[in-house]
Amino acid sequence: MTRQIRLGVFTVAGCGLAAFLLWGLAGLPGFGHYHWPYGNVLNQVAPNERHTSNVVGAVVFDYRGFDTLGEEFILFSAVVGVSLLLRKDREEAAPADRVRSDPIMATGAVAAALLFVLGLWVVAFGYVTPGGGFQGGVVLAGAFLLVYLTGGYREYHALTPHSPVEMAEAIGAGAFAILGFAGIAYAGSYLGNFLGIGDAGSLYSGGSIPLLNWATAVEVCAAMILLFSEFLKTYVIPTDDWRPELGPR
Amino acid sequence: MSTILAFPVALPLVGAAFVALTDDWTPKAVKEFPAMLIAAATVAFSTVILVRSERTTLVHWFGGWHPRHGLALGVGFVAEPLGAGMAVLAGALVTASLVYSWRYMEEAPRLYRVLMLVFLAGMSGFALSGDIFNMFVWFELMGVAAYALAGYSIERLGPIQGALNFAITNTVAALFLLFGTALLYGHTGALNLAQIGRSLAGHHAGGVVIVAFTLLVAGLLVKSAVVPFHFWLADAYAVSPVPVCAVFAGAMSEVGLFGIARWYWTVFSGPLDPHAHAVRDVLLAMGLVTALVSAVMAFLQRHLKRLLAYTVISHVGIALCGIALLDSKALAGAANLVISNGFATAGLFFACGVLLREFRTVDELLLHGRGRALPFLGVVVALAAVALVGVPYIGSFLGHSTLDEGATEHGLRWLPPLLMLATGISAGAVLRAAARIFLGWGPREDSLLTPEPPDEVPETQASRPVMVAVTAVVVLIGIGLGFAPGLEDRSEHASDRFRDRQAYVERTLDGKVRRYGPPAPVVLHRAKPSSIAYGIGALLIAIATAALGLYRRRVPATARRAGARLLDPAVAGLKTVHSGVVGDYVMWITVGTALVGGVWALTLHGP
Repeated sequence: MTRQIRLGVFTVAGCGLAAFLLWGLAGLPGFGHYHWPYGNVLNQVAPNERHTSNVVGAVVFDYRGFDTLGEEFILFSAVVGVSLLLRKDREEAAPADRVRSDPIMATGAVAAALLFVLGLWVVAFGYVTPGGGFQGGVVLAGAFLLVYLTGGYREYHALTPHSPVEMAEAIGAGAFAILGFAGIAYAGSYLGNFLGIGDAGSLYSGGSIPLLNWATAVEVCAAMILLFSEFLKTYVIPTDDWRPELGPR
Repeated sequence: MSTILAFPVALPLVGAAFVALTDDWTPKAVKEFPAMLIAAATVAFSTVILVRSERTTLVHWFGGWHPRHGLALGVGFVAEPLGAGMAVLAGALVTASLVYSWRYMEEAPRLYRVLMLVFLAGMSGFALSGDIFNMFVWFELMGVAAYALAGYSIERLGPIQGALNFAITNTVAALFLLFGTALLYGHTGALNLAQIGRSLAGHHAGGVVIVAFTLLVAGLLVKSAVVPFHFWLADAYAVSPVPVCAVFAGAMSEVGLFGIARWYWTVFSGPLDPHAHAVRDVLLAMGLVTALVSAVMAFLQRHLKRLLAYTVISHVGIALCGIALLDSKALAGAANLVISNGFATAGLFFACGVLLREFRTVDELLLHGRGRALPFLGVVVALAAVALVGVPYIGSFLGHSTLDEGATEHGLRWLPPLLMLATGISAGAVLRAAARIFLGWGPREDSLLTPEPPDEVPETQASRPVMVAVTAVVVLIGIGLGFAPGLEDRSEHASDRFRDRQAYVERTLDGKVRRYGPPAPVVLHRAKPSSIAYGIGALLIAIATAALGLYRRRVPATARRAGARLLDPAVAGLKTVHSGVVGDYVMWITVGTALVGGVWALTLHGP
């Protein structure tokens, strides 16, 4: 089949499909016209019964915490899949891996530290104010990536030793699933809330949400770092006598 | 206690994390066992769920968020026998695969075990979930694990292409599912299947519902590989490691079919039942075309894994016909077919792995006569082929005969012979390959069969006795399901319950528990004479197909030339369409969805 035929048929069918989709969209309620009870009920129940002030956090880790378990493992298997598929060394053009400007390195070190603290804050207050383990985990991993950008691959590599990060990832993912079993043991349902609901607006609120939140943060942060490392490994070939597996001489 | 419903998903997930964490420290001698034990325990839990769900539908609300006034706050699992049976099938095949692949994977075996457990969790979750977004999550989990498993032998070119085709087409499918889910949520404000179903019932189907239904069904038709959404499957199966293929073939495609049935009866049957004929006609046409076209494609292959892949697609088409009739008997037939064909096909893939280990190739022509060294395996392969044919009272016969009876009750007397033809041709292709490999029959060359670039097969430490034993056990299970006493009545009863939207909705949202009678008495299945005739007919067609494949040259020259003139353009056309180019595949998905959507827009609309 030639490219022209494929594109031609695709254009015709795609237009038909687009028209069909628009027909469906036209039947939806107008923008801003939310008239279902679900959102309103959750807005009532979460602050009252869980003392959670971030209802989105409550949806992610409590009402639909089971979806989050699945999503966490999607990330987990994506990382496993990437390290499986990228396990062969690729020989590609090597970029310079070392930043030699002192101002950049100094700024980067400060920025990375600030970013790391910001990440911790986004995680820790994730169920009180907007934030959460998923978002915070990515920010935390971003701090490490900033070390690579402003320092170099060696500094990044020294900060993120492969096997502890890999262990942290498995522990984070496994902890979420095991906390679910704790729910069975103490609350009668998988992922059931088995801690006191605490005081609204404080870090001690939301029952087991904080635990699930931190498990997610550990998993997501470690997963992102592993992803960065896998891709960097295929991209960076250290220039001189230094190889990741040997460490600095 | 309904908490048991969490185990088929949560246990393999904890297991995957555990294996990822501890595998490097585990002594080499016992490295393989944790994953096997976890998978086996998962099957045990799913089986307990299956047995208990025969008496009453089990519901578990995660986080303890029970519905309030019919409003589902959280995510729930709802187990009735068909869903639980799907989870058992997936678990059994993953367990068999993990045992079979003892020392099979030379590279990154830790990641392989982790991914297999995650894959199992995804399939179980999809089968048990009662929430459409939650099903999407498990669909994605299944997909991510499966793409990586398909691309396992990444150092070769074939697996890169096969896994990419798989990932791209199935991601388009996931996008369809997400769009459909969003439309339903926008329309009903609910994600729980029962709640959406209740909210849609009593209204006519409008644009939103029809578009959502089309997208959800099309997404799953890609997953289960129905023509014209099927192209990726043969590419992915041809390159995946054998133990992975067995699970793909026996459970993954079938999970897609299960989802179509689940969503039709639980969510859409209210508004769409008045137009059931339109749903039926479209699905039936697709199923029939799939069954026949893929059977012919199977006949044209010499690469055994690709041949089996087309056999799988053909069986998916037949099972889709069973679902399309929208009736309990045919649905029970489809379910039984899925189980027995699932085991038999998995066994055939396992047999391929043994051939690969011994002779470093799965090319039918290169293997000519070399299977004589493995007579026991030859017998097992022949038995599996017989199970696929559905010879009376063996293997897929139970499924075929129940499906045929359902079709006849609908007055579709032309359907069973066509399904018999498809079954016969695809099983004939398997028989031909078996005869050529294990008996050395037929010529060593056949220009009709599609050549495939040779594989570079990595060395393996796998144990041949373990591999052959697993192959034999799996095939025997597939055969035995044809005469399992009581299975026919139980599956029909289960299908009745599966189709009962009212009971499902009341059980899920209102907590109204219904008890069902004790399982039907154990009686042997008594087939109608017509079913027995179809079973024998399929066997004759299979033998004739195999003989034609092996001894075409003995046909008189004039007849052969006339046949070639008639069939060659069609064969060439079929081969051209199956191009291996992912752009073509996405184009076909677009065309198929637009066509199905167009037909349903015209026929499902209004009162």
